[in-house]
Amino acid sequence: MAQPIHVGMADLVVSRHPATLITLGLGSCIGLVIFDQVSKTAGMVHIMLPDSREAHNIPKPGKFADTAVPFLLDELYKLGAIKAQLRAKMAGGAQMFAMPGKSDNAIFAVGNRNIEATTKMLSVAGIRLMSSDTGGSKGRSVEFSTETLKFTVKTLGTGTKEI
Amino acid sequence: MDYNAKFTNIHMDAIREVGNIGTGNAATALSRLLERVVNMDVPVAEMVPIYDVATHYGSPEMSVCAVLVRTEGEFSCSLIFMIDEEKAAIMTDLIIPMDISGMDEAARMQIRDSAIAEQGNIILGAFLNALSKITGWTLPTTTPAVARDMLGSIMDLVASMFGVIGESAMLVKTSLHIKDVDEELAGTVIMIPDPGSLECLLAKLGVL
Repeated sequence: MAQPIHVGMADLVVSRHPATLITLGLGSCIGLVIFDQVSKTAGMVHIMLPDSREAHNIPKPGKFADTAVPFLLDELYKLGAIKAQLRAKMAGGAQMFAMPGKSDNAIFAVGNRNIEATTKMLSVAGIRLMSSDTGGSKGRSVEFSTETLKFTVKTLGTGTKEI
Repeated sequence: MDYNAKFTNIHMDAIREVGNIGTGNAATALSRLLERVVNMDVPVAEMVPIYDVATHYGSPEMSVCAVLVRTEGEFSCSLIFMIDEEKAAIMTDLIIPMDISGMDEAARMQIRDSAIAEQGNIILGAFLNALSKITGWTLPTTTPAVARDMLGSIMDLVASMFGVIGESAMLVKTSLHIKDVDEELAGTVIMIPDPGSLECLLAKLGVL
């Protein structure tokens, strides 16, 4: 078993098989993994915000959904991944605090906006989203293994599931 | 422009002093509520790269209980009171006037959620009252929201708040220590001014 690689906030990591990619304590952020079903080359990105057009500069492409997806695909192609074999899984996008009467508050709804933006970017890129565990109010820790191509999602209180 | 570069030592001192006055008032309010001595540490004001925010106060998978209130208006800011999940139960039980150990888990959690929301509300409300006094601003607050979750997940949101405008987050943190209890009991107050709001505060304090 390879040493697990931690994917920090706004980080983007790609690796050939075998690899284990993990992200701890996702709240409103998204853990997105795209992998080649055949060669098992995989990449994970920890997306913080939906749209880079709201920002003054883009220091890390992994920070925004609209820059993260194309960049992750490019990195995967560099490792020889083949587009028709690529699939995606994602988790995260929780709303950590329920603000009464403030559900439309842009910053507290950032989880939902992250889910929407990431889903849209995958669809624009023509990558099939196989499964996801998103939304709700609980944080998640995620782990992707290129061995099983399973995305393990841990939530405090409710335990672990595989998607 | 780099958000970091804008703040000098004088600014940081002023921000720390706001944290000091706010948390001082919060400690007094908590002390009255619990009828116990509450000590506070010296506040730490710092600019933290947003990518490190989730791990800045401990392991991202640490289980914590957090209460958040916001004020929006002349000055917009979020305040979080955070305490270890196990310690939260000890602190809430100090103000719950009956033995709840016999109740089922769901009922206990409901009572404790309500108690921690109230404690958080008193602590953070007192902080904002102090801030209101020194600035003359009216600072209306939202009702408290409670989350019991991983530290990383809660700080994730904080990182996103700042991520919209830059690469670092201004965090003002103070620890409160509750005395006269069997166990070491400490919580943390974190002030998270909305991006852009700090400038208003510094101008009001006459240092910008």
